[in-house]
Amino acid sequence: MQISRIASPLKLLTIALKVGRVTKKYPFGPPLLTESFRGAISIDPAKCWGCGACTLVCPPNALTMRLEGEKIVLEYFKGRCIFCGMCADTCPANAIIVTKEFELAATSVEDLKEDVIHKMSKCAICGKPFVATAEIRDVMKMQPITEEYANICPECRKKRAVKAFGMRFGAST
Amino acid sequence: MKLEERLRGVRRSPWVYHLNSGSCNACDIEILDALTPFFDAERFGVKLVASPRHADVVLFTGPVTREALPKVVKTLKAVPRPRIVVAIGSCAVGGGIWWNTYSTIGGFEKFQGVLKQQGVEIDKVVYVPGCPARPEAIIYGLLLALGYVKQKVSKVVKVVES
Amino acid sequence: MSMKDVVKEIEGKVVEFGGVVETITDTAVFVEIPKERVKEFAKWLYNAGAFLKTCAGVDERSINSRFAVYHIFGLDEKGIDVVLRISSLEGEALPSIASEVPAAEWCELEARDMLGLHILGHESKPRLVLPQDWPNAVYPLRKDVPYDYRPPSSVENFGKELPSEVGLPVGPYHPILHEPEYFELYVEGERVVDVFYRGFHVHRGIEKLAESPRFTYKTIPFLAERICGICGFVHSSCYVLTVERAAKIEVPERAQFIRSIVLEIERIHSHLLWLGVAAHILGYDAGFMHIWRIREPIMVLAELLTGSRKTYGINIVGGVRRDIDESKKKKALDVLRNVREEFKRFVEVFTSVPEIVKRATGTGVLPKDDARALSVVGPTARGSGLRRDVRKDYPYFAYRLASFKVPVYSEGDNLARLLVRVDEVFESISIVEQLLDALPRGSIAVESYEIPSFRKAVGAVEAPRGEDVHFIITGHGRPYRWRVRAPTYQNIPALKIMLRNTPLADAFLTIASIDPCFSCTDRAVVIRDVRSGFRRFASLFEGRRYANK
Repeated sequence: MQISRIASPLKLLTIALKVGRVTKKYPFGPPLLTESFRGAISIDPAKCWGCGACTLVCPPNALTMRLEGEKIVLEYFKGRCIFCGMCADTCPANAIIVTKEFELAATSVEDLKEDVIHKMSKCAICGKPFVATAEIRDVMKMQPITEEYANICPECRKKRAVKAFGMRFGAST
Repeated sequence: MKLEERLRGVRRSPWVYHLNSGSCNACDIEILDALTPFFDAERFGVKLVASPRHADVVLFTGPVTREALPKVVKTLKAVPRPRIVVAIGSCAVGGGIWWNTYSTIGGFEKFQGVLKQQGVEIDKVVYVPGCPARPEAIIYGLLLALGYVKQKVSKVVKVVES
Repeated sequence: MSMKDVVKEIEGKVVEFGGVVETITDTAVFVEIPKERVKEFAKWLYNAGAFLKTCAGVDERSINSRFAVYHIFGLDEKGIDVVLRISSLEGEALPSIASEVPAAEWCELEARDMLGLHILGHESKPRLVLPQDWPNAVYPLRKDVPYDYRPPSSVENFGKELPSEVGLPVGPYHPILHEPEYFELYVEGERVVDVFYRGFHVHRGIEKLAESPRFTYKTIPFLAERICGICGFVHSSCYVLTVERAAKIEVPERAQFIRSIVLEIERIHSHLLWLGVAAHILGYDAGFMHIWRIREPIMVLAELLTGSRKTYGINIVGGVRRDIDESKKKKALDVLRNVREEFKRFVEVFTSVPEIVKRATGTGVLPKDDARALSVVGPTARGSGLRRDVRKDYPYFAYRLASFKVPVYSEGDNLARLLVRVDEVFESISIVEQLLDALPRGSIAVESYEIPSFRKAVGAVEAPRGEDVHFIITGHGRPYRWRVRAPTYQNIPALKIMLRNTPLADAFLTIASIDPCFSCTDRAVVIRDVRSGFRRFASLFEGRRYANK
């Protein structure tokens, strides 16, 4: 027992001497990041459609969408984000990228919010705003839809289809 | 400024108290990690203390569960002024993945309303997002609370041109 | 004995009791028994060598207008789960099986709290799970209670003083506990004679949240991970395993390997963490710092493989989201080799330091019989001579293909549990190395799958702390009922026996020796009724069997 009382601290000392200093100099030096680290996401407004697919898969609802008059606002709240990267996997426009940003500390919760504001397109028939302009623009690039058809809100489109359907069977308007 | 002056008093060696209000353990382990050899927060004089009465800074984790609520209030009451809180992790900042369930309050921001009712004033809060927050992020948040580093994030508004 | 023979044997018995049998998955049998005879059947199962894994109360009123309780037994030697269902109409009483199987007490109380079931013999016991100020007739797990219903808190709650007649309070905030939990130790001189536990401070309502429209099968793994910050990957793995069993999804082999690798990395970091904390509790801070230094490369490796230091975010139903390429594999093997060497050198010192060895030897003893009766799991069971390991008993993922030993010590004291963990670190390192070498090619996730409604399945995964059990009844788009039984839930009642007659100074190490993880245990809800309830609560802790000893 007496021997181990002396021997074990000595052994520990040799281990410590052999290992040397491991401490990272952060914040004065680089952090201990690896290439696969997932930090905060960044939304590219030039690519975003405002479709809201990301808000549906976000497990903690850190990405939310709200209507503000004639604008759609996609809000990203870093303070609730769990950094899973599901939104980046889901985004149909590849507008979301996962960065390595982790120095997100802030003195106010407001500083942790990010808004992406989309203008809404107005329906060509009833004049009601119904979808983000960017979504129409980009969907039209991918799908051959005529502008006349794309600029109509779902409700008016339904009415029009019913009307067209009725006319085919000879109903009078 | 009075707060700034008082902050100067604790800057050299902030004693921290770790307060878990019902978190999943990840942030708590990362706090411990920040004190161990690789990150060694003791470089800044940070020392973990066992009693809230000795604390200069409270490292706060968890979304504040209903069961823990009265106990957390009591504990924060025992912390001497200036009360500096570093809310660590998504749960403490915004309620995390359980921000609207029946048995949590939903994070430190909402919890401050309860604190006000109970007459507990908090002098300074720093929010550190992360799930879990990395040890570096915790050190960064703590240094921000003490005024060593500048805040890097701010509210961003991006307008889509079309 | 094959699955068929076991089913036949159970069938014979069930018919005798007037029940029905059905095979639900490759490893589970479903049994329905008239509630009047459930006690006899449970006794028979228990004597046949089954461990009680957990039980789950389910509100099935929308399907068949009844409330059901599912008791989940595991036949460890055969690797087969038996799901035993009893049911009643609203307001009718259900029998308790706790007198036959002491391990059932806690989960029956939880079913009573969360669903308002009337379980005979439990009427007068105080709440286990829900907060003290929770209104009386609101039961969160009933389907008609919304998941975000937050009844107002009563203000008197804040002024309430703790009773003056307490023993020695440990918590809710205490330096040895990372989490808010409350223990009261009753002492005679320096010896602990009794203990009271008031937990569930970390109840966040996860099971209910998973049934809410906010979540789908796809996003629940992220919720499951956050049950616990140390063994998060275990919970998400166990969830996906259970769903995959229920829906009979074939997962690509490569994904199975990656899951096993990450699970073992998690075990290494968790055990190193625990060893460090144990050293800290015993006042050996130099050891604490060294172990955490050795642990750090494992955390960096976990981040490299999964993108998060806490192995969060890669499990999804049907596979995984991140692949392991050649360069990552090489780095991983390097790190593991270094860690093994460093840990080996350090363990020599660690296990010869008098303050560790002397204080851990002979303290906190859990005899084998008691361990069996309480169905304890993980290193707590293996330190008491029970050879229980889900990886061997109910093989899942790629464990069939790895060769490893299950360390068992028969002393049942703190040192035995400590040594089990030390040995397991070496075993885990070797498992990861074997699996990395044998990593098969192929895809890492299935393209699409369908999950039919109202299938039942049981899944179990060996967490660092023991067996983690998930039980699922599938529903439309999300589980109808998802029940999580974390290892600590099963182990806490054993503290009562471990702490009896332990010197007060060793009580803290003993509490820590089961590696309690309260966030896992509490995922659902809790209570406390100090004034009226704590004496009765103490007897709850014992399980009736021990009250007479």
